[in-house]
Amino acid sequence: MNRNKTDNFLNIIESNKGILYKVVNSYCRNNEDRKDLIQEIILQLWKSYDNYNETFKYSTWMYRISLNVAISFYRKENSRKRISNSLTTEIFDFSDTEIAEEKETNFGFLNQIISELNDLNKALMLLYLEEKSYKEISEIIGITETNVATKIGRIKSKIKKEFNQLKNQ
Amino acid sequence: MENIELINIWKKQNAKIEKTLVINKLLLKETIGRKAESTLKGLVKLKTAGIVSFVFYLLILGYALLYAISNYSSASNYFIVSVSAIALINIKGFADYIKHLAWTKNINYDGSIMEIQKQLSRLQLSIIDHAKIMCLQFPFFTTFYLSDNWFPQNVGLPYIIFQIILTGSFIYFSFWLYKNHKPENLNKKWFRNLIAGSGGKSVEKAIEFYREMEEFEKEN
Repeated sequence: MNRNKTDNFLNIIESNKGILYKVVNSYCRNNEDRKDLIQEIILQLWKSYDNYNETFKYSTWMYRISLNVAISFYRKENSRKRISNSLTTEIFDFSDTEIAEEKETNFGFLNQIISELNDLNKALMLLYLEEKSYKEISEIIGITETNVATKIGRIKSKIKKEFNQLKNQ
Repeated sequence: MENIELINIWKKQNAKIEKTLVINKLLLKETIGRKAESTLKGLVKLKTAGIVSFVFYLLILGYALLYAISNYSSASNYFIVSVSAIALINIKGFADYIKHLAWTKNINYDGSIMEIQKQLSRLQLSIIDHAKIMCLQFPFFTTFYLSDNWFPQNVGLPYIIFQIILTGSFIYFSFWLYKNHKPENLNKKWFRNLIAGSGGKSVEKAIEFYREMEEFEKEN
């Protein structure tokens, strides 16, 4: 393994760790599956690192791969068996941080609503909340900018409605 | 609730994530080191039971065939032809299955979500196309036990008629299965039961998701 390449890769992961955390957290509610998903995403990032296209930002590249892996993750059979060597410890410390589970907060409500969206709408919303431009979102998702705008508008209204309902419960 | 408020809630959390999330670099290095493991090795582990029993079955067929050829007599003509056909069909089916699993496992995820997910769904569905060749082996199970020594010259007409009807109905049945082995039939229970062993569940999910993507792409 080329040391320079490995170090560069690790630095990219370190500076964009938030992306991985948010994708894994939005698509995976089960703690055991999270370890597998994060491992699978990192393997796929590493695999395509050699062919990284510099015209895109690292964040776009990471979003594309991590969302694609996360979306296909649950379509595979036997989630726990799918990776030959499951990790016993975690790459990210999900449980010890104060951000792990915040149920009764605004973020907790928002997170809950997002996790209930279907896989494609979830990806769309994650990118919107990350303040990606409609152009960038359309490149990552693969639909037209107009379609991105229409769909985001619709999901936002749904989220706001549910958000208020949850808060008033 | 304003748009900006949703984004602010999210951003506030991001700041916390960046500050408090700890990444285990050692484990990260170990994870990328595992990439060196061959895809085939991973696949074999993933589908061990199925692959092992398939290989075992092929070995038995191969051994029986080898034995019949090395101790050749015209009595084993039907056996040699039938078992060769069964073995060839199984080898082809098995090779296609492994090839597709390897493609699915080796897919490059660096593309737009719609493009990659459609590619993945299509790959999963194509497993059905390649698994259907297995249906063609059924008629040979009705001929391998026949022998030049007693068939057809030493059996009565009723047995010949019985054999023709048996083999004929198996030919019809296997051709019918071959023709109907397609994703469009996934809503039928018999078909779902039939493909359960070759990843039926994930094929069903692939179809469902493919439809979801087509709906998602529509500008309405």
